[in-house]
Amino acid sequence: MNNRLKVLRAERNWSQQDLAQRLEVSRQSVNAIETGKYDPSLPLAFRIARLFGLPIEAIFIDS
Amino acid sequence: MGSRSPAARRFLRRVAIASGAYVVTVFFTLHIFRRGPLHLPEAIGVAIVPSLPILAVIAIVGLYLKEETDEFKREIFIQSLLWGSGLTLALTSFWSFLHLFAHVPGVDGFHVFAMFWIFVAISAFPLARYYGGSDE
Repeated sequence: MNNRLKVLRAERNWSQQDLAQRLEVSRQSVNAIETGKYDPSLPLAFRIARLFGLPIEAIFIDS
Repeated sequence: MGSRSPAARRFLRRVAIASGAYVVTVFFTLHIFRRGPLHLPEAIGVAIVPSLPILAVIAIVGLYLKEETDEFKREIFIQSLLWGSGLTLALTSFWSFLHLFAHVPGVDGFHVFAMFWIFVAISAFPLARYYGGSDE
């Protein structure tokens, strides 16, 4: 699944570590999600969406 | 696991204790058996002792999977366990054939527990490398 996490993070000038701390996950988690190697669970996807103030489908794109 | 979560730290501490207990019970069991022959009920009672820490480790793994709040770390750990299981099963099967038909020395079953955890630890490295990446 593709996602816009890296772009959204860059717009806010956050590092992966910054985003990881805000989501209360590891930096490796953020990296794996950004690179599409790992798809987050629905609860984590909702947390990401809430953090960016966007609907889930605006962040994650079903490929 | 670069920066360890509290759940991971608890897991490592518990596994270290259970592994220590396993080593002690293996030596205890070997010592008892080497003292002389035992009747079957006694032998069963003694032989079962080292398997108790192994059961404890299974429970500890379950506790970790329950306590770890980072779902990605859970995923990586499960993948490591799968690789550890697969490599252990493959190696023990391979070695059994060599032992049976090529007169290679056999490996005692109680070494399999340590072998499994070594493979779990080894498989964690390529997984970390694959998922780790760099901050951009």
